[in-house]
Amino acid sequence: MAPAPDDAVIVRRVLGGEVDAYARLVERHRDRLARYAVRMLGDPEDAEEALQDAFVRGYRSLATCKDPARFGPWLFRILVNRCRTKVVLRQRRSRTFVRDEVALATAGVAALDERGAWREEIALALGALDPLYREAFLLKHVEELEYEEMAKLTGVRVSALKMRVKRACDRLRDLLQEAESAAR
Amino acid sequence: MRHDDDLIARAVEALREPAAVSPGFDGRVMAAVRAVPRPSRWALAWEWAREPHWLAVSPLGGLALAAGVAGLLALGVWAAVPRGGGVVSADAAAEPGQVVQFVLSAPTARAVALAGDFNSWDWAQTPLVPAGAGVWSVALRLPPGRYTYTFVVDGTRFLADPSAPRAVDDDFGTPSSVVTVGRGAMPDRGRTS
Amino acid sequence: MTARRLAMGLLLGLCAARPAMGQDPRLAGRLDAGTRAAVEALVDSARQGGLPSDPLVTKALEGASKGATGARIVAAVRRLSGDLAAARTALGSGSTAEELVAGAAALRAGASASALQQVRSVRSGATVAVHLAVLADLLADGVPADTAAAAVVALARATVRDADLVAFRQSVDRDIALGASPGAAATVRVNSTARAGDLIMTAVPNAPPRRRP
Repeated sequence: MAPAPDDAVIVRRVLGGEVDAYARLVERHRDRLARYAVRMLGDPEDAEEALQDAFVRGYRSLATCKDPARFGPWLFRILVNRCRTKVVLRQRRSRTFVRDEVALATAGVAALDERGAWREEIALALGALDPLYREAFLLKHVEELEYEEMAKLTGVRVSALKMRVKRACDRLRDLLQEAESAAR
Repeated sequence: MRHDDDLIARAVEALREPAAVSPGFDGRVMAAVRAVPRPSRWALAWEWAREPHWLAVSPLGGLALAAGVAGLLALGVWAAVPRGGGVVSADAAAEPGQVVQFVLSAPTARAVALAGDFNSWDWAQTPLVPAGAGVWSVALRLPPGRYTYTFVVDGTRFLADPSAPRAVDDDFGTPSSVVTVGRGAMPDRGRTS
Repeated sequence: MTARRLAMGLLLGLCAARPAMGQDPRLAGRLDAGTRAAVEALVDSARQGGLPSDPLVTKALEGASKGATGARIVAAVRRLSGDLAAARTALGSGSTAEELVAGAAALRAGASASALQQVRSVRSGATVAVHLAVLADLLADGVPADTAAAAVVALARATVRDADLVAFRQSVDRDIALGASPGAAATVRVNSTARAGDLIMTAVPNAPPRRRP
């Protein structure tokens, strides 16, 4: 989450009217943010949508970025919120299209059997986690945030976050063990 | 990072690999960004100023708390940035009250002043001075309390501070803002009658 | 000397000659005679009733600066006087002027008298001016009255510092700016802010059960 040294300069240029300078920020932070969105949402299209939404919202709210040098963490927070919204919307959607969801899961398992891809196993296991556990796990172990940073980002207590991460690990371990056994 | 077992460690390793976006993603984002109506400078100032930006304050922790009270309640703004909305930063000091800095970006203004409960609503008493790049600024020491105020641009136009909470008790049809100065490090002093 | 200045001089002379309690030199030259007399009467009455007079004077001056009519200025001063009295009723006669001003603002923003009483009872013996100011600002931000009051009472109970109260309000403001609903923003933020006072909070009888995240 270390910010590039000249993000502040770019942010000020954008705020000064150089809209195109924002492309530098997009380019610089895109990959890191995309990784979180894809891992969190699973679906690449949803992830891109959330990511684009975060960048646009970031641009719109750029004036509220209190520390332009930390534009990356600031935008990351917006993305985390966008992903949460996506998850909620998807949960609502899934209540309406339960059958589609089941079909999708089945297709995923079939693909896993065919390819035996480790990444697919992980993606499926991750997707099976409660979104709050998934979020905590990704922030802690993939994005490597400290618990205090996570607490600030999510508004959740450190103790609760530790519990979520632990449960996420336990559940992931079970799911991955199952997947590995099935692949043998 | 330490993992309980190899399975989780391997998963984390895989999850840390980059995730690609589809070709043309940056272009689509920038097209969407360019489609966003360019906010007016005032709107920009408002957006920016809603977020507090801290000025350097006393190194003493307790006094820093005092700075926090005024700065945050007033939604202090980073006056050092040559742009931007109103705001307040606070600077703790030994004497009662805190220094609150009011900043307004008004590039086309010929004069900007401040009228509020703290100067008997007499804006002639408190002109803001140009700080460059269209930014106007003034710092006042305010005793603890809740103050209503407004900027007066060119002696004719009342303008609420874009960085501060809006006063709900607007009795006169022109918007005002609110700044609350707390008692900083001594919030629990006994009440006086 | 213009006619206006002459009139102003006469007015000032009249005012100076009248030893009314409600006179405040700041009103001189800012209000017409009738408005000034009415305002001074209200200020007198408030002062005799033990209410702070300064907020009433500055309210009148605000109206004068903003070019309001005399009737509107008097109405605003009378209304504020009523709000201050209501705030004092809720907060107690020992309340400071700052507390009454903030309490009046909270009432005007939609807080209930019982919300003010709760804040006071939880923080008995300590100032609640900043608590009430934050309550007023939350309400102005669109946080539902019940939610705003519950949040401020919880923070008062947790004995968080003034600085943390303000940080809380700022966080809510930021969340709202980023799209959160005002009620949700306040609810989420109150938990993390209350943590700062957890130790003290547990020592307070009748503290509400902690919300599980």
